[in-house]
Amino acid sequence: MSDFLWSAGHLGWGVFALAVFTGLWWLLGDLYWRLQSIRIGRLLVALTTGWVIWVGLILGLYIGSR
Amino acid sequence: MTILGLQIVILCLVAAAVVLWALYFPYPSPLIRRWLPPRKRWPEAQIRTWLKQGGFQRAFLRHFYSDPERIAPPGNSMLAPADGLVTSAEKHEGVRYLVIALSFWDMHVQRSPVSGKVLSVESCGDGFMDGEGREFAFLREKPCPVQKRLLIATDAGRVAVRLITSLAARRIETWVRAGDEIERGQRIGRILLGSTVVLELPVTMNLLVRTGDRVWAGETAVAEGAPPHE
Repeated sequence: MSDFLWSAGHLGWGVFALAVFTGLWWLLGDLYWRLQSIRIGRLLVALTTGWVIWVGLILGLYIGSR
Repeated sequence: MTILGLQIVILCLVAAAVVLWALYFPYPSPLIRRWLPPRKRWPEAQIRTWLKQGGFQRAFLRHFYSDPERIAPPGNSMLAPADGLVTSAEKHEGVRYLVIALSFWDMHVQRSPVSGKVLSVESCGDGFMDGEGREFAFLREKPCPVQKRLLIATDAGRVAVRLITSLAARRIETWVRAGDEIERGQRIGRILLGSTVVLELPVTMNLLVRTGDRVWAGETAVAEGAPPHE
């Protein structure tokens, strides 16, 4: 798990991907919310579900590449 | 080390985007404005805040003062004099008053509905509307909102276009004078930051739009009909 956070003199690709993805996902969610008149509750559920799936994929890729 | 530098730059960019989002919330961040339609790019609450403060975002003003070319449809139907929503089409003493309400996001240059000769350009009114009472715009009794009324002589009779300001607008420019010959769809004036345009037309003409319809200045046919026999 240590190379998830830090690896060979730079941030671990796992934590880096997680941080970048979380920021972009949040901004994308905001854009979608403004373009579509969607209820905030439904949007939050969709955002959280999408986030969990993508984080699962990132972790899966990280574990698979070890 | 190069990879770390690159990672830090990317993380800083993402963090800056999130900070911008937080600073501008609930209004859209400047980073996403370009992808939003005007009504969502500058929400009404934000525009009303600017009105109170007396300052506007440059991009909004650029949009507001835009003056795109319009192509009049063939034929001699009467065109909408302004962009906006038809809010009323009342008949009153032999005249039909087609009221078009402009929103903050509409193009604010008005166009002539018909070809003809400008008979007069009158200024009248002594108050400002705040979007309320647009349906009463055809009443000529005082106090009526500040407005300019252009009377145009056409083959179909006399037609008038009234440019009415609101509390937000307060200023009207007209670009034609009495005696000018004007073309159908020609630019005739502009209401700065406002408001309502009323088209007065003979009741003998057939109306092609209904209350709630969206119309575009110089492009949407709003009425047609044979000229009255005098």
